[in-house]
Amino acid sequence: MSEMASPDPEGVDGVRMTWNVWPRTKVESSKCVIPLAATVALIRPHPDIPRLQYAPLRCKTCSSALNPFARVDFTAKIWICPFCYQRNHFPPQYHAISETNFPGELYPQYTTVEYILPLSNSLNPSPVFLFLLDTCLIEEEIQFLKSALRRAIGLLPDNALVGFVSFGTQVQVHELGFSDMSKVYVFRGSKEIPADQVLDQLGLSTPGRRPHKASPGVAGAGAGGLPSSGITRFLLPASECEYTLNALLDELQTDQWPVPPGRRPARCTGVALNVAAGLLSACTPGTGARIIALVGGPCTEGPGAGSEYGAGVGELSVTGGACLWKTLLLKLAYGVQNFDFVLSLARSKIVSKDLSDPVRSHKDLDKDAAPYFKKAVKFYEGLAKQLVSQGHVLDMFASALDQVGVAEIKVAVERTGGLVVLAESFGHSVFKDSFKRVFEDGEQSLGLCFKCAHCQLYSCFSGTLEINCSKEIKIQGVIGPCTSLEKKGPSVADTVIGEGNTTAWKMCGLDKSTCLTVMFDLSSSERTNTPGAVNPQLYLQFLTSYQDPSGQSVLRVTTVTRRWVDSTVSSEELVQGFDQETAAVVMARFASLKMESEETFDATRWLDRFLIRLCSKFGDYRKDDPSSFTLNPSFSLFPQFMFNLRRSQFVQVFNNSPDETAYFRMLLNRENISNAAVMIQPSLIAYSFNSLPAPALLDVASIAADRILLLDSYFSVVIFHGMTIAQWRNLGYQNQPEHQAFAQLLRAPHDDSQMIIRERFPVPRLVVCDQHGSQARFLLAKLNPSATYNNAHEMSAGSDVIFTDDVSLQVFFEHLQRSEFLGSSAGLIYIVLLLLYVPQDTISVKLILWLPSVLLLPILHEEGHA
Amino acid sequence: MFLVDWFYGILASLGLWQKEAKILFLGLDNAGKTTLLHMLKDERLVQHQPTQYPTSEELSIGKIKFKAFDLGGHQIARRVWKDYYAQSQTALWDSCRLSHIINGIRLLLTWLDMLICVDSSCRNRAARVAEMTVDAVVYLVDAYDKERFAESKKELDALLSDESLANVPFLVLGNKIDIPYAASEEELRYHLGLTNFTTGKGKVNLADSNVRAMEVFMCSIVKKMGYGEGFKWLSQYIK
Repeated sequence: MSEMASPDPEGVDGVRMTWNVWPRTKVESSKCVIPLAATVALIRPHPDIPRLQYAPLRCKTCSSALNPFARVDFTAKIWICPFCYQRNHFPPQYHAISETNFPGELYPQYTTVEYILPLSNSLNPSPVFLFLLDTCLIEEEIQFLKSALRRAIGLLPDNALVGFVSFGTQVQVHELGFSDMSKVYVFRGSKEIPADQVLDQLGLSTPGRRPHKASPGVAGAGAGGLPSSGITRFLLPASECEYTLNALLDELQTDQWPVPPGRRPARCTGVALNVAAGLLSACTPGTGARIIALVGGPCTEGPGAGSEYGAGVGELSVTGGACLWKTLLLKLAYGVQNFDFVLSLARSKIVSKDLSDPVRSHKDLDKDAAPYFKKAVKFYEGLAKQLVSQGHVLDMFASALDQVGVAEIKVAVERTGGLVVLAESFGHSVFKDSFKRVFEDGEQSLGLCFKCAHCQLYSCFSGTLEINCSKEIKIQGVIGPCTSLEKKGPSVADTVIGEGNTTAWKMCGLDKSTCLTVMFDLSSSERTNTPGAVNPQLYLQFLTSYQDPSGQSVLRVTTVTRRWVDSTVSSEELVQGFDQETAAVVMARFASLKMESEETFDATRWLDRFLIRLCSKFGDYRKDDPSSFTLNPSFSLFPQFMFNLRRSQFVQVFNNSPDETAYFRMLLNRENISNAAVMIQPSLIAYSFNSLPAPALLDVASIAADRILLLDSYFSVVIFHGMTIAQWRNLGYQNQPEHQAFAQLLRAPHDDSQMIIRERFPVPRLVVCDQHGSQARFLLAKLNPSATYNNAHEMSAGSDVIFTDDVSLQVFFEHLQRSEFLGSSAGLIYIVLLLLYVPQDTISVKLILWLPSVLLLPILHEEGHA
Repeated sequence: MFLVDWFYGILASLGLWQKEAKILFLGLDNAGKTTLLHMLKDERLVQHQPTQYPTSEELSIGKIKFKAFDLGGHQIARRVWKDYYAQSQTALWDSCRLSHIINGIRLLLTWLDMLICVDSSCRNRAARVAEMTVDAVVYLVDAYDKERFAESKKELDALLSDESLANVPFLVLGNKIDIPYAASEEELRYHLGLTNFTTGKGKVNLADSNVRAMEVFMCSIVKKMGYGEGFKWLSQYIK
């Protein structure tokens, strides 16, 4: 809540850190419990960031950019790099530099500047949008999808290049440039096709074809030359192909391949992505391109899956012809790999075609009983690698009632910096409005539209991030949508977290909300503990280069400094520099990462251990008196964040499919701190007659019959009407002129929810519900169960209880206090006992609480060994 | 017999043969499917958000290992129910070579089993392998939400008349009887159109009768009562 006071906690730099004052040594930093980490909103726009029309000066040793923290000797025309202490001479164009006349990047307030790099504009290719459409859908869904696509195509800027691929049992690449009739290249869905073969089949691999040689064709599409040759046959400017595309959509049918009862349709998502990536490999290097995949079910047909129906050439061509009855089937593309080779290829399949074989659950993954999972992840890792090397993005729009394999495809979306939206139907507002938001112009679009007139496009391409830091600091890795470029350097830590082993990362796609988490460590030795001799400040520099929607090449340089503090002397300063919200989000991201990468990782226990260690380090209490326990105000919100985190969908995967969990975590990892904090700990606003709308406690006690509550849990926005309000509304009081106030009360939360929805991508699910109704569970599951069916004996009318055995925040906190004075390990056992195996009545709670600590000693001993 | 069991044992250890019974938790939204699943798994009551996508858990009740599927109950999510009990003629022919072989062995074992063993329970198992459908349906009804009995009946009727579920035992649980004024068992039976159409509590042998086992049990998951009897009843029809 304290963060709400300052309107913009991210400031100009878009950088937030768990600790804003850093302990001097590795030993001290490990005692701080919460790891040293920074979150960086890479290209978050801010009116105070200057745009400089020249290239930055780079240090000749460490290549960091000139920044306000460099020491400048104006007479000698020298600047000293704050990272490596190298002396650099200013180049001739800086000869006029003086104390009163210095360039923008040296102004103390400009810690973040953007350099517009002088790039010859003719080389700027238009962005490419390759739509990849699933046709294994029911009629209703394909109609929803078509209308969404029609609208999107209408919103595309004229210069954008558009391509269209549809897939079902086979992959159809539509040649939009052939206007006389529709022409389709068909690829068999059961074999992985290497990129060069895709090009071969599409007639794009002319001998001597060099990527940059093809570039005039792309840039000058329709401007002359040979419009029907090369990639321009498949990728056309939106202005030229709108008619063709709409005609194509009109004709497009659901996949006609017969689906026997009890079977899933044969859907070759993997091969389709493979072909799409192959097609894009023919683009000029440096072209920003996105594959926009619209998927309505799991991949059941994959490379190496073998041929189930014994489909031969004849059979396939017959079906292909029947399926695309008006089209001219020019070429049946076949991979001619031998059988052994096919078997050795990675598989993209998520589940078999047999419906009696359900899509993997969390339980299956835990037990390693998901036969396709690892192979599929490997396949999509390969796809990610190809897309990253080409600099292209994969966006995933998945809409289905069952899982489609987001958990497997995650790696390709995340590593390329793509967007992801998961909805239950293509007709649901979560998909419809999100998809529209991607393409539409205006304040709420994802773009950086206020900067230039024609940049309707939602995001930037070809991003790279480089980090420079003071020599004591080591980078463990980055959590978030990026790929490690494996650029080794002295700042690389030995341990790796997330995308590590590097000081540079690539984001094929990034937008103004993209936020990465950088995990730091301190070098273990080389510190001479002689204060005064060392620099009291540490420096971090984030260099983000990207191609903005107008095609300009931008380098954004953010340099931040923080103070070192000797925490062995006093922890007071350290405490003041703690950012609770950031720390909570970093812990959530770290825990999610560990849950995904480490088998048998117990996140609840791990988080409890952290919290207890934190409280014993920074809490104040008298020995043997748990009630004396107090936490410094800088930490006061943190336990509540942890309480909500361990109850959240990131840690509790029960009742969530692996696809949902993957989706939630992808968004947790890419959103800014305020949004990520809402995912962990939703916000609640109460509306009533006698007072203005006000924040309410995230507690069941906030429910009242004459109140309306508005819950924002990021993924859903819930409007909850108290019993009385719901009754009055059902009686239609809001329509009577004398009850204007009531009508207003009803309307207010709707207006506010629209404000939340408008600013968010993906568009959240809006739930409107009444007390005791079925949908009220969207709210109840998030509230602190301070009153449960067990302890609420005298309920006042209109109040509510939660049917749960979960402990409330109050009980959680009490145990935390007690665990403090018992010592951390025993406390951990306590908490685990209390929270995981919660007894049914309060008497036994007390029994466990007062268990003599002697009893716990053997367990404690074991702990020490483990 | 021992040879067959030994074979199954080997296959089981290789993860190629699962003896788990497959059960579905169905019913309208807010009937208590997820709460029941969590209760059976952890013996703890937890307030969940409405289920969006199907999930599954492994349970063992008595001697039987279940794989229980919890499906969303809201209107649109009900479309996916049929995918979980759909009968497949080609079920034994999976796409890849390896599973051809495995399925071949499975088939062989099924035949062996049928040839060697004349005991009725074994025949059931053999028949089940061939059908590859679900072993039981647990249908939950919110006994307090009387306004939605008609909707619940409609969905139940659709399930009961589905051919894929023709011989599958049904356990109907009337949940939330801890709330005052919740419907009684008679009331619930009446509203669901089940009066006199259930096969009886206790041990009733239906093995040779070609009648689907079905019974109504009232329960309160919150009070941890009632559903145990239901599952005890149900387990006699799963073998």
